[in-house]
Amino acid sequence: MVEATQTKSKESKNIKIVKDATCTFCGCVCDDMELTVDLDEHRITKAKKACVLGRAWFYEHTIDDRPVVLIDGKEATLEEGIETAAQVLVDAKFPITYGLSDSTCEAQRVAVEIMDIINGSIDTTTSVCHGPSGMAFQGVGESTATLGEIKNRADLVIYWGGNPAESHPRHFTKYAVTPKGMYIPNGKKDRTVVLVDVRRTPSTPLADIFVLIKPGKDFEVLWALRALVKGKKISENIEKDTGVSREVLDDLVSRMKNAQYGVLFFGMGLTMTRGRHFNSGAILSLASDLNEFTHFVAKPVRGHGNVTGADNVVSWQTGYPFGVNFNRGFPRFNPGEFTTTDVFSRGEADAAMIIASDPASNFPKKAIEHMKKIPIISLDAKDTCTSKIAKVRFAVATYGINTGGTVYRMDDVPISLRPAFDSPFPSDQEVLEGIRNRVKELLKGDKARLAA
Amino acid sequence: MSTTLLKLHTPPQVPLETEVISPTSLSGLSESGIEHLQVMHGNVKAKLGDFFKVTGKGGSDIHLEGDLSNVKMIGTGMSTGKITIDGDVGMHVGMGMSGGEILVHGDAGDWVGPEMSGGRIVVKGNAGHMVGSAYRGQPAGISGGEIFIYGNAKNEIGNSMRRGFIAIGGNAGDFTGVNMLAGTIIVAGEMGIRTGAGMKRGTIASLQSAPMLPTFEYSCTYHPLFLRFYLIRLQENGFRRIIQDKHLNGKYKRYSGDGIELNRGEVLLFAR
Repeated sequence: MVEATQTKSKESKNIKIVKDATCTFCGCVCDDMELTVDLDEHRITKAKKACVLGRAWFYEHTIDDRPVVLIDGKEATLEEGIETAAQVLVDAKFPITYGLSDSTCEAQRVAVEIMDIINGSIDTTTSVCHGPSGMAFQGVGESTATLGEIKNRADLVIYWGGNPAESHPRHFTKYAVTPKGMYIPNGKKDRTVVLVDVRRTPSTPLADIFVLIKPGKDFEVLWALRALVKGKKISENIEKDTGVSREVLDDLVSRMKNAQYGVLFFGMGLTMTRGRHFNSGAILSLASDLNEFTHFVAKPVRGHGNVTGADNVVSWQTGYPFGVNFNRGFPRFNPGEFTTTDVFSRGEADAAMIIASDPASNFPKKAIEHMKKIPIISLDAKDTCTSKIAKVRFAVATYGINTGGTVYRMDDVPISLRPAFDSPFPSDQEVLEGIRNRVKELLKGDKARLAA
Repeated sequence: MSTTLLKLHTPPQVPLETEVISPTSLSGLSESGIEHLQVMHGNVKAKLGDFFKVTGKGGSDIHLEGDLSNVKMIGTGMSTGKITIDGDVGMHVGMGMSGGEILVHGDAGDWVGPEMSGGRIVVKGNAGHMVGSAYRGQPAGISGGEIFIYGNAKNEIGNSMRRGFIAIGGNAGDFTGVNMLAGTIIVAGEMGIRTGAGMKRGTIASLQSAPMLPTFEYSCTYHPLFLRFYLIRLQENGFRRIIQDKHLNGKYKRYSGDGIELNRGEVLLFAR
């Protein structure tokens, strides 16, 4: 239930309270926020229960004074923007859509549809964060759970290659470590928390056991753990190679085997270091192996608010989570060939639609150089490096603050959004629907263009 | 034997998928018949003649000229004949081939000979990732045939290979022979880390030392006679400068693994 009350406060301000609002900053997607909204100023003045990142997210999203559409840097109407964007996409031979992780599922669905119609490629920011996990799921499967189940049952919580205290501040307190659960009546006292990382971080003090490993040795340690769990021999040089002694590994294995319910959370320290999808595959396999002895699950700790939704929507629509190509009229999945960094670095794409992400600031130099050569369509709530080099730049409303819709929490649980205040900007869903309709019109009767 | 010459006159702006370039598809076609074969230029249907000038009618010997680094899927599913490429070639060369030979006088892109079952691919330059490997989600990679790369190759050589022979003249990336089911990989240069991770059976040999995973166990140092014959075959096929007599007659350290799996695979590293 949306409970919003609108009152005139003493300073005769239009104040609205939004209860149970959802924060879409990180993959935790906390849905217990209480927002105080100043409707005159178009800003959120108070965000109860929000963490430090959530507060920044809510407080800094105001209504900027900027044009809705810029074409080649010149102000234009929404219709003109949609027309130009549709033309760019229809004319392209190898268009790609990238981003989508800070966008609602409804908008993501339209983006996939556009790429399906024009036979382009669709890729999400998953390909540069937990994409390797997506590949590993396909290879070795996944033993999974919701965060609610973990809160109620997990007595052994292992974080591998992540720093949730800074990246997901409420992960500990709302979901996995301190909350009391049905079978965890005393909260943290009933759980053992293990942190595995290559350095000490602000998350470290929370851990009962901290395992420091040599950088780039995650796979070796996971592989050794798998062998020990299965009762197989491992090399005597393990401590010299990985920085982790045999005693620590044996202790960890015994704790894992004897846990009632164990969980392995893994972050980008694992997925984005040397070995990538094999690292994710190793941790997922370890969880599967442990199910011979007890119940064990593994979950990636996802970053952006709706990156999990992007995986779900793209999988549901195409059969694959990211890096999908429609050139031939049917979906093909090949990370490395159809993923955005690779497509840009090799100079292949001849047009790109970037939705709610900023590859121009964080992609490899070679990829950014190629981006500057091709027409870019950018949809973003804020000005970014990407929107600055875009041919068509749409300013859109912020999801979760200005627009409703659905997002997926990192454990694949869908959550509805409760917007705080209206925005003069269109939602990305509206812009994408406009582009889709125009693309359909432009392609009408042009059967040869469609390869299927 | 008549030769079919395909000369690139217009480099493709975006990746060109040309699975039709194989002796099987071209055989018996006239020059104009070949030029009218359909290819995919990004998401647009095009004709082979839009990019290549064809000389000679379709036969079992095909010559390709030009920078084909943006041309994918040459020799897909070929079962006989020969394709010679003068220049670099793009991804998926020799995809699923079952016979015949592909010779590349240049570098090859990622996925050289994925899921091939027979025939031979020789790359005189370097190759990308995933040489002779399985596609994502497939349980097994190559099930036969030979791939010879004279230069370097990147990660995941022979991923999930079931049978066949892969030889790399230069260095290899990480995860050589990962999840290998059987078959043979020989790397003359240095191998990256995590060689043979998850391998069930099969042989990975290197003429250099390499870091081993903790689940591989040292067995012995010996002279594997069979390896001598493989190396002689490589010497006869252009690896003469790299493979010396000491490698033929020398001893190798044998590691067995992967302990997590069947432990029936072996990694042989040249000792002395």
